[in-house]
Amino acid sequence: MIRRLLTALGAGHTRPVHVLLGLLTAAALAQGVAFALLVPLLRALFGPQPGAAWGWLWLFCGVAAPAVVLTFAAQRRGFRVGAEVARRLHHRLGEAVVALPQAWFTRSRVGALTRVAGEDVLAVMSLPAHQLRPLVTAVVTPLAIVVVVLVLDPLIGVSLAVAAPFLLAVLWMSNRMVARSDRGRDLAIGEAAARVLEFARAQPVLRAFGRTVEGHRELDTALRAQRDADRRMIGLAVPGLVSFGFAVRVVFTAALALAVYRFLGGLLDAPTTIAVLVLVGRITEAVGTGAETGATLRISGNALDRIAEVLESPPLPEPDQPRMPTGNVVRFDRVGFGYRPGEPVLHDVSFTLPDRGLTALVGPSGSGKSTVARLIARYADPQTGSVSLGGVDLRDIGTVERTARIACVFQDVYLFEGTLAENVRIGRPGADDEALDRAARAAGLIEVVESLPHGWDTRVGEAGATLSGGQRQRVSIARALLARTPIVVLDEATAALDPENDAVVGAAVAELAARGSVLVIAHRPATVRDADQILVLDGGRIVERGRHEELLATGGWYAGFWERRNHAAGWRLVPGPALPAGGHR
Amino acid sequence: MFGPVLDVLRPVRGRLAAGVALQAAGAAAGVVPFVAVADIGRLLLAGPVEPSALWYRVLVGALAALVALIATTAATTLTHLADNAAQHDLRQRIAAHLGRVEPGWFATRNSGQVATALQGEVHALHYLVAHTLLDVTAVLVTPLVAFGYLVTVDGALAVVALLPIIVGLVLFRRAMRGAGPQMAAYARARNEVNAGIVEFADGIAVVKGFGGGRTAHRRFVAACDAFHDFFGEWSRRTTSVTAASQLAVSPLPVLALLLVAGTMLVAAGHTDPAALIPFLLLGPASAAPVGAIGPRLQALRGGIAAATAIRRLLDEPVQAVPAQDAARPGTGAPPGTVTLDDVSFRYPGSDTDVLHGIDLELAPGTVTAVVGPSGAGKSTLAALLPRFHDVSAGAIRLGGVDVRELTPRTLYRQIGFVLQDVTLLRISVADNIALGRPEADRTEIEAAARAARIHDRTTALPHGYDTVLGEDTELSGGERQRVSIARALLADTPVLVLDEATAFADPDSEAAICDALSELASGRTVLVIAHRLYTVTGANTIVVLDEGRIVERGTHPELISAGGRYARMWAAQQGAPTMTTGRDVG
Repeated sequence: MIRRLLTALGAGHTRPVHVLLGLLTAAALAQGVAFALLVPLLRALFGPQPGAAWGWLWLFCGVAAPAVVLTFAAQRRGFRVGAEVARRLHHRLGEAVVALPQAWFTRSRVGALTRVAGEDVLAVMSLPAHQLRPLVTAVVTPLAIVVVVLVLDPLIGVSLAVAAPFLLAVLWMSNRMVARSDRGRDLAIGEAAARVLEFARAQPVLRAFGRTVEGHRELDTALRAQRDADRRMIGLAVPGLVSFGFAVRVVFTAALALAVYRFLGGLLDAPTTIAVLVLVGRITEAVGTGAETGATLRISGNALDRIAEVLESPPLPEPDQPRMPTGNVVRFDRVGFGYRPGEPVLHDVSFTLPDRGLTALVGPSGSGKSTVARLIARYADPQTGSVSLGGVDLRDIGTVERTARIACVFQDVYLFEGTLAENVRIGRPGADDEALDRAARAAGLIEVVESLPHGWDTRVGEAGATLSGGQRQRVSIARALLARTPIVVLDEATAALDPENDAVVGAAVAELAARGSVLVIAHRPATVRDADQILVLDGGRIVERGRHEELLATGGWYAGFWERRNHAAGWRLVPGPALPAGGHR
Repeated sequence: MFGPVLDVLRPVRGRLAAGVALQAAGAAAGVVPFVAVADIGRLLLAGPVEPSALWYRVLVGALAALVALIATTAATTLTHLADNAAQHDLRQRIAAHLGRVEPGWFATRNSGQVATALQGEVHALHYLVAHTLLDVTAVLVTPLVAFGYLVTVDGALAVVALLPIIVGLVLFRRAMRGAGPQMAAYARARNEVNAGIVEFADGIAVVKGFGGGRTAHRRFVAACDAFHDFFGEWSRRTTSVTAASQLAVSPLPVLALLLVAGTMLVAAGHTDPAALIPFLLLGPASAAPVGAIGPRLQALRGGIAAATAIRRLLDEPVQAVPAQDAARPGTGAPPGTVTLDDVSFRYPGSDTDVLHGIDLELAPGTVTAVVGPSGAGKSTLAALLPRFHDVSAGAIRLGGVDVRELTPRTLYRQIGFVLQDVTLLRISVADNIALGRPEADRTEIEAAARAARIHDRTTALPHGYDTVLGEDTELSGGERQRVSIARALLADTPVLVLDEATAFADPDSEAAICDALSELASGRTVLVIAHRLYTVTGANTIVVLDEGRIVERGTHPELISAGGRYARMWAAQQGAPTMTTGRDVG
């Protein structure tokens, strides 16, 4: 656990933890020695001359005082180190996340990251602040007591030496039992949580199809499964918890019986017997307190694991010596790529985007169109072949230079809490108001801005909840337009737009293509028809390429696509003959 | 303050009371072995002793320890089982309650919040119910019983033994002084850093795309640093007192104090040395639990907050539904007719109407299209038919009966819908299609799937119709749309609410969806929300909605020749070089 913490902190930042551990060990040692001194002290106190106890008493106090001071210092430092550890982990997480490739940021990972940087870091904070002290005390203090008592009275020492490791072993075993019972439960909880979310999201549908209260069988089943798993855990955990409590009592009773037996046999005098019993109480207490931290310790351990997972994810390599691209021609040269090993998405894809003009990428869903767009934006690097910009492999171009030349608009639009203006200015942080208005006009966003009570200063809610899908998409397009990059990639960027705004954006795209290079993944016949180059992707390979008329003439996939598009574009909803009440049956 | 807790835990109160009683008994029994040991010590010091007297006390001590263990274990088991039952009961109660609130309620809330309540908040009660209650009992009972015994042994030393506890409590109070406002400030700082984290985690991918990764990173680090600065400042002021309060009740100082005072009393001849033994054994044991008072209070506060949140959720008003359908008026409209009578609507808590005085009649076998700029209220209007929201004024009648006077069962047998936002459940394709008619057999399901143009795709799935969606496979947007159309086909309701944009939700399967929708719409009472005007040129009635009012109505040719709002919208969609419509469809 401590080693994992040190690894997560990184080289050069482990000193505070080492110092804390040193302090804690010293405090626990001093405490153990003080406890051990109770043997001669009590022997004197309960002996024939209680007055002889004064010397031992002062010695006891002489050791107890520094032990108390050390404990106090260690506790204070524990709080401080906890805070330092949390700050350091936040910084390291920030560093690690910013260097990760964009392909890393899947929806579930982003959700988990929020938890890692929030709850998990704070959970690890309590490791130095609250958990290390009882842990160190549980191990070191009993050992110290045993060692010192061995010197003072070997016989008692040996019997205690047997008890301490016995208790620790039982503790370790009971923790394992509890931990094992946790695991089976996680699955049930995960399933129940997913069903709960589904139940909430699907309310309109469930209701409308007559599934009101009792209706969602799956939720009920999942909740029951969770309850049963919890019950099983109780069944497993209780023996684990009891076994330690039982062991403590066995040790206590055994020590008591042994002491009485030896006393009756004349092998132990009364004062020593009492001293032994007091010490047994101290040892069981120290180990017991350590046992209580077991559960919280497991929580911080799991938190630490999740933090380490983020910290250890491989970052997107940055070039040591970035090279400058000449021109803005994008070239795919025999690119092969897959998100998971053994599942290739692109095979041997080669094409060129000239520095001016519109390229349309079409193909059935799942053919790899979005992956092509992502590779241009260097969400990930290809496994074989290369993607180059201006004659230089993307891997050899620095992030700053690449993002200054390529802007992407994806279907998923992220809006953060802030004003509308701030959200669009992500595209070019220093942009003036005039540029902002211009981009908004070209993206069809200006009417949204003007209809809002606070205009550009309107705050968009968390995750942009106050804007419709089409409006959000326009924000995203405005960002890309504001960035004024020579290369623009639009992946289904207009899917949620209504016809008017679709037209506005269409005009903007045409304008962009006149002065730069635009790659669109689109299905709108007009966009595709007017493209300077059409690439047809199927099964991760480019199967057709050319201009509209050329591709129509070949009668391949594209020709079929065109026919289906026109069929849909001419679709009308028309009333049919009225049916008798009760419907079709 | 405890009101919500008591209320939420009502069903398990008996079990909890039994648990607390057992715990109290166990805690009291836990003191007995110490008393037995102290007794043995005194017998040993008293001189010649009968072995049986010693063994008897060993036995009593061992038995008492066993009883204490059994009682506390039973108490823990009992509270854990009570917690288990309470959690399950609460989750079911919340789910049942949510199943009765207005469906529109969910649109205004993040579904994650609901999940948090059902899982997180309910789980937060666990510590309160299963642990804290018993901990508090033990913390109170153990010192009380111990001191009751110690006072009988030696009054003066008992007072001394009480000192660490008093000092510990006084220091704890000092540490907590001003904790209220500080806790609030802490919660604010914590929220701030959480917001920073969410923004960083959610937005980093986008921001990086524009080369702003470093800026986002700086903001994140600044938010974290601000939190840690605040936290550091706060703890710098309190750590010394907190550490001291814990130290005061820890074994070493307690023992030192008792030994010094005890030796002095023995030396002064006031106390017999043997009287010290119970204090050395019980003194540290009864003071130590006080040190854990902070975390206990924290757990208590957390539990109360969770119970309050749950209570609030359970208090959300439900949508009123009648137990029986109202009788149809004799002279009412024919079945399948929908009448909107002077309908107005505003969202709960808002003070502006979204819809004003809408009058509209939808006749069986006709298509009525609602058009208008975005934000005009089209989707809101459509959502009123299946009672996602209830009207604020006026009434919606189905076959002459107010929809609020129909049982949900009757209502939803009459009204179906296909909207842009498709919800599929993580169940098999067949079950998803049969959602509205669970009794439908496979032939009927397949027929609906065929008509919805999703049959071929379904049979190609790994387990055909038994493929579990979202588990065995994911469907594309258009495929999901077609499953939802099949669902509506099988439900076979006479009234249908439709969003035309559905047809264009997935460019890959537009043509198939269009055909499926035509099939579905045929012969029903159809209300369609339209964005692309050309798709509804054949509608029986086109209603133009603007700012929540009907500004025009008529057929396509009528509205074109009227030269009003609709005609202008038509011209705009036709004139512009749109990316949507490649050819002239006029």
